[in-house]
Amino acid sequence: MKRGALLLFKFLPLLILAVLWEIVCRAGLVSSLVLPPLSAVIEAGIDLMTSGDLWTNGEVSLYRVAAGLLLAITLGGALGFAMAWWRPLNSLISPFVEILYPMPKSALIPVTALWLGFGDGSKILLIFLGCMLPVTLGAFNGARGTDEALLWSARSMGAGPLRVLRDVVFPSALPELMNGIRTAIALSLILLVSSELIVARQGFGYLIGTLGSDGAYDAMFAVVLIVASLGFIADRLHLAASGWVLRWRM
Amino acid sequence: MADVTPTPLMAVGEPTEGRLPSRRFDSAFALSGHWIGVILILIAWEVFARSGRVSPFLLPAFSTVLARIGADAMAGPLFLNIGLTLYRAFLGFAIAGLIGLALGVGMARSRAIAWFFDPVISIGFPMPKITFLPVIILWLGVYDVSKVTMIVLDAVFPIVTATIAGIRGIDHQLIWSARNMGARERHLIFHVLLPGALPQILTGFQVALPIALIVAIVTEMAMGGYGLGGAMIDAWRLAESPKLFAGIVEISIIGYLLVRGMALLRRRLLHWHSEGRTRG
Amino acid sequence: MGEGPQIRVAGVSHLYRPPKGRPVLALDDVSLDVREREFLALLGPSGCGKSTLLYLIGGFLPTEAGTIEVEGRQVAEPGPDRGIVFQHFALFPWKTVSANIRYGLERAKLPRRECESRAQYFIDLVGLRGFEDNYPSQLSGGMKQRAAIARTLAFDPKILLMDEPFGALDAQTRAIMQSELLAIWRKTPKTVIFVTHDVQEAVYLADRVAVMSARPGRIMTLVDTRFDKSDPNLFKQPAFIEKVDAIWHLVREEALKAQAGRLPGRLQ
Repeated sequence: MKRGALLLFKFLPLLILAVLWEIVCRAGLVSSLVLPPLSAVIEAGIDLMTSGDLWTNGEVSLYRVAAGLLLAITLGGALGFAMAWWRPLNSLISPFVEILYPMPKSALIPVTALWLGFGDGSKILLIFLGCMLPVTLGAFNGARGTDEALLWSARSMGAGPLRVLRDVVFPSALPELMNGIRTAIALSLILLVSSELIVARQGFGYLIGTLGSDGAYDAMFAVVLIVASLGFIADRLHLAASGWVLRWRM
Repeated sequence: MADVTPTPLMAVGEPTEGRLPSRRFDSAFALSGHWIGVILILIAWEVFARSGRVSPFLLPAFSTVLARIGADAMAGPLFLNIGLTLYRAFLGFAIAGLIGLALGVGMARSRAIAWFFDPVISIGFPMPKITFLPVIILWLGVYDVSKVTMIVLDAVFPIVTATIAGIRGIDHQLIWSARNMGARERHLIFHVLLPGALPQILTGFQVALPIALIVAIVTEMAMGGYGLGGAMIDAWRLAESPKLFAGIVEISIIGYLLVRGMALLRRRLLHWHSEGRTRG
Repeated sequence: MGEGPQIRVAGVSHLYRPPKGRPVLALDDVSLDVREREFLALLGPSGCGKSTLLYLIGGFLPTEAGTIEVEGRQVAEPGPDRGIVFQHFALFPWKTVSANIRYGLERAKLPRRECESRAQYFIDLVGLRGFEDNYPSQLSGGMKQRAAIARTLAFDPKILLMDEPFGALDAQTRAIMQSELLAIWRKTPKTVIFVTHDVQEAVYLADRVAVMSARPGRIMTLVDTRFDKSDPNLFKQPAFIEKVDAIWHLVREEALKAQAGRLPGRLQ
């Protein structure tokens, strides 16, 4: 019970802001066109859910983000480990990485749309390409930082090179890898919403855009809040997963 | 020395070199640029594009793209676009810097302020804030104000968190000594806290500037007009792929220069500091 | 017990190539014979190459000049016949104590039940009963070292290589661990090569002490240090004190040389 009270206290400012929002609107201090009251936003949100619009678009967005992230994490992670393990591969690929690292990934939005159009493909490709780098870097740096004494201990206990990669390098790299994945998750949502606002015919971003241009501002606010909270939820889920995966740390 | 977690063998005191070949990890990723590699990539691009395996629409040759950049530089709006995008990005970055520093210092020094803004920061950080762009356009119109506001909203978070972390990480004895010598809060902030937290703060800035650039480009794409983002969306609409790829090359170069510039600036500003714990 | 030494190091030199800077000669024409089940200490000032020699015998570094033979065969790679214990424990932080100890047994493809029972035996042997399911981050330094030793003993290597295993422990724990190591060694006799910079530790634990010079490392002399190790007053015996003193003077000269040359390493 005490923990609940503590949590409430921690998030009290948000509650205050919510109440303020409602009061300011009801008092007529702000035009309801510009800022619909929170209650209206909630109502519009529920309407969207029951009408199904939210789900159809939401499904599409979630699919795109999940697919793109999955590709980015698995292939990006594998690449990072491979580059850490085999020097020739590293020399071959690191120029690519060095070029791509400082590039604003949003620059890829038009070109992926050029290649694959308005649909899922372009978004998945965008998220895959854009989010791969933090995962690769995390895997690479984590693997590079493996304590040599651990590698030697494993070798002296009879483990072959591939086994060492699996049993020692991979777990050792996990903290940095998980960190890279956290960045990738945040980036994926940014790329998703950005591309859906600009070059899409379906999805959360598209929904926000259409609701806005239709003048349905309370519904638009509702979707904005929902998408914003998705980002927060995804990050919290990742933290929980990290906590479990890395439970052996102090 | 008890209870030491495993450290690399180097710390043991004996020279240990010549790892077994497969175990040698490179010290790559210093953005020093392996120029040979880059040139090879560009050559590969050119060869592949000209080979006929892929249509020049989907992948124009590098030489074509280069020509386009040249044309834009001579007679076209290249410098205008670059200038506009950079102006917006830097303006937003600067405002975010001021707000971020102020808020960060406030949150680090006042428990009440920290209490109020903590949930805002911790919830806001992982949010895709670009989602609020339509709301901002609704409130502030379709001009630069909205773009810059969006940039500020995105760039302020890493600066705030870095400032807080930096200040909280300062050795307390440093602060107590200053207090002991009669320093008042305002003097403390400018002469002890901010310099002490500088490495972390700079890291926050180094994260925030690329974000500012990204958001500038995205807002330009969403709202059109002049600027690198707007130019790229125009190119896409008119299906002019050389111009589109030109935009990618231009943005990449600018992004690279910004990151390098910041790293150099950091080294200058922190020359008095043991750079051991920073990642340049 | 066959004829001839178990480990033969012949004319081994080793060049240390740092990532930046010039190569440095770490070992200079080192030759050494180690008998089976002997407890040998490698003693010398910091930077003298004693750990390097250990790693060469272990197969972690390639032998470029000279030969190292274990039971007649050239050393090429690390293997379960030469177990190693490091100063900073090198326990897998993501595995529990018991999982760490079982690792070598699993590599040897022993059936699961046997892995578990052998691991438990060694956990008890080093006094860690009750901590089987703890992670290394939850253990003290002394306990971590016990776990590391148990892990290496568990897969029964003929040779035990120890790289200043008690260097990271406080003085009291170190003393306790020293006598426990001897007790364990008496129970399961193995060849032990023990690297240390602590003269008293070397004379107490070892049958023979190889005293090494400052860099580039050479074996200056081999001293016989067989005493009645079970004597509780050993440290006060005049013979013991004399021997420690004599060796200390040898090492001290070399340590001063090492410092004068401003070589890297810990100051003794």
